[in-house]
Amino acid sequence: MKSKIIETFIRLKLEESKAVNNVYLFAKEMGMEEKEFYNHFASLEAVEANIFQNWFEMVQQEVSKADIWSSYSAREKFLSFYFAWIEKLKENRSFVNMLWKVSQPIPKPPAFMDSTKEAFINFAKDVLDQGIQSKEIEDRKYLSNKYADAMWLNLLFVTNFWIKDNSDAFEKTDAAIEKSVNLAFDLMSKSALDSMLDLGKFLFQNR
Amino acid sequence: MEQNSIPSTKVERAMRFVKTGAQIGGNYIKHYSKKMMDPSLSKEELHEDNATDVYNALSELKGSALKVAQMLSMEKNILPRQYTNKFQMAQYNAPPLSGPLIIQTFIKSFGKSPQDIFDAFDMKATNAASIGQVHRAKLGDKELAIKIQYPGVADSIKSDLKIVKPIAFRLLDMNEKELDKYIKEVEAKLLEETDYELEYKRSVEISGLCAHIPHLVFTNYYREYTSKRVLTMDWMEGMHMDEFLKTNPSQEIRNTIGQAMWDFYDIQVHELKSVHADPHPGNFLMRSNGDLGVIDFGCVKEIPEDFYFNYFALLVPELLEEPGIIRRIMEQQQIINKSDTPQVQEIITDAFMKMTKLLATPFLEETFDFGNNAYIDKIYALGEEVSKMDELKKSKEGRGSQHALYINRTYFGLYSILNVLGAKVKTGVRDWKSGLVAYHSVEA
Repeated sequence: MKSKIIETFIRLKLEESKAVNNVYLFAKEMGMEEKEFYNHFASLEAVEANIFQNWFEMVQQEVSKADIWSSYSAREKFLSFYFAWIEKLKENRSFVNMLWKVSQPIPKPPAFMDSTKEAFINFAKDVLDQGIQSKEIEDRKYLSNKYADAMWLNLLFVTNFWIKDNSDAFEKTDAAIEKSVNLAFDLMSKSALDSMLDLGKFLFQNR
Repeated sequence: MEQNSIPSTKVERAMRFVKTGAQIGGNYIKHYSKKMMDPSLSKEELHEDNATDVYNALSELKGSALKVAQMLSMEKNILPRQYTNKFQMAQYNAPPLSGPLIIQTFIKSFGKSPQDIFDAFDMKATNAASIGQVHRAKLGDKELAIKIQYPGVADSIKSDLKIVKPIAFRLLDMNEKELDKYIKEVEAKLLEETDYELEYKRSVEISGLCAHIPHLVFTNYYREYTSKRVLTMDWMEGMHMDEFLKTNPSQEIRNTIGQAMWDFYDIQVHELKSVHADPHPGNFLMRSNGDLGVIDFGCVKEIPEDFYFNYFALLVPELLEEPGIIRRIMEQQQIINKSDTPQVQEIITDAFMKMTKLLATPFLEETFDFGNNAYIDKIYALGEEVSKMDELKKSKEGRGSQHALYINRTYFGLYSILNVLGAKVKTGVRDWKSGLVAYHSVEA
């Protein structure tokens, strides 16, 4: 029933119906009693907040149940997740467009993304931990805790890019995903950054 | 991952070229200061330095910039040999697409992952083409080769060419207007190469029409697993030329392969008037029994009729005896312009005819030994001489039809492959002259 409610909500929102602001009207559209609605959601805002989280869960399940998932590196897992995420959003592009106010280049995340963020951060931490264990990612004091947040910003960046993308079959979004994840992982893996920090520390201690 | 070091934004790529420009400048300074100390110093070392820097810059780019490198490497008549050797290295191995991106590309094209379509699919690329990469797969008892393209290539081609322009301008000693006309032609061809559906159509067409040539082999293509960015074909056995030569093939086998290649081009140019215009070693596979496999029909040049009849008429000595014909052709091909002074017209016509006669040599003999380095060296030397002519450099107008670009490239590529192969080829078997003679006798 939850997904039925979400479906109806998206349709009504796209049709600019008043029912998306009024549980009574909404329940009427659904052909259900108002009190039955509250069995599933506390409010219509809660429905809105649930949409993206719902998609997130679907995408996460979909990518992680693929046979190839376990053989992927952390980098590939994120790539695969972002590609699938955009595919999911594509099914509802008009709706996402309507909801997502685009600002440059990484937006302040809309309030309805809060619960999605939490779920994503948990997912990202799992994948990142595994990357740290396999030495794909460098474990850095203080910074390591921020990696998952960085991947969240990456998700917002990718989503934002896709909303503005006018290329055929959103090809440029594919390239943006590939390039941004590569950059993120280059920064997170052992790199010049570490040597720089090392030198900085050395100079700080020896002057 | 190798991809790490690819400069990805336009700005970054532009910076690369700026840096290279500066390095080349530096090499010249180095050269002239050394030369003051040692007047005997040749320009060879300078070219070598420049070529290394240019190559290093280009090798960090991918997609169309790499293709331009290939293109330049084919224009051997313009570039000194040191450039060419370096550029030829650019013809292999671009960096890979990530596994998830490969799957994503398949899902977008066919709605299914490669694992769902094929019985086996190797996620590791076996080799890289300049705008994509090749994967091996299995379907039933068939071994397949699947070419997958990077996303957004067509879009980046335009901006890449804008970046390449200033450096090409310097390297090629060409005036800007001339360059523009050619860059447009190159751009159109490069954009065509990004359309694998078009490549599919051409592959099937040309391989059907040329299948009768002895020792020439083509592969089988799969329409149902082909999209704009994925091209599926049967895996073809064979070695790339450098590998093949290491096996020390006999002269006879070299000749057989060379003959197949010559016949392939002869029929395309003179009969089909549509030619596989990308003869670089990466597009051919050779086998120890003398078979030659042709892959990659991304670049096909259709030859316009009036261009064909004028361009190739210059290779027929009988025709050139007719008074006024040379001038007529020079004008038609826009090699000389009405605004040129008579002296300039004469100098350019002479230089052009000298070049043409040299290039036509193989056409006019029964058999021709392409392994003869003296001949190839003569072409380079004359090419360099011509490109340095003041009359050409000072010219404000473009010279030569843009169609000639890919035809010249085709023949230089063909000659240089046959040269490296060391093949002796029967070049005078087919009669293509009578068509030209008939055309011009009506005209006159």
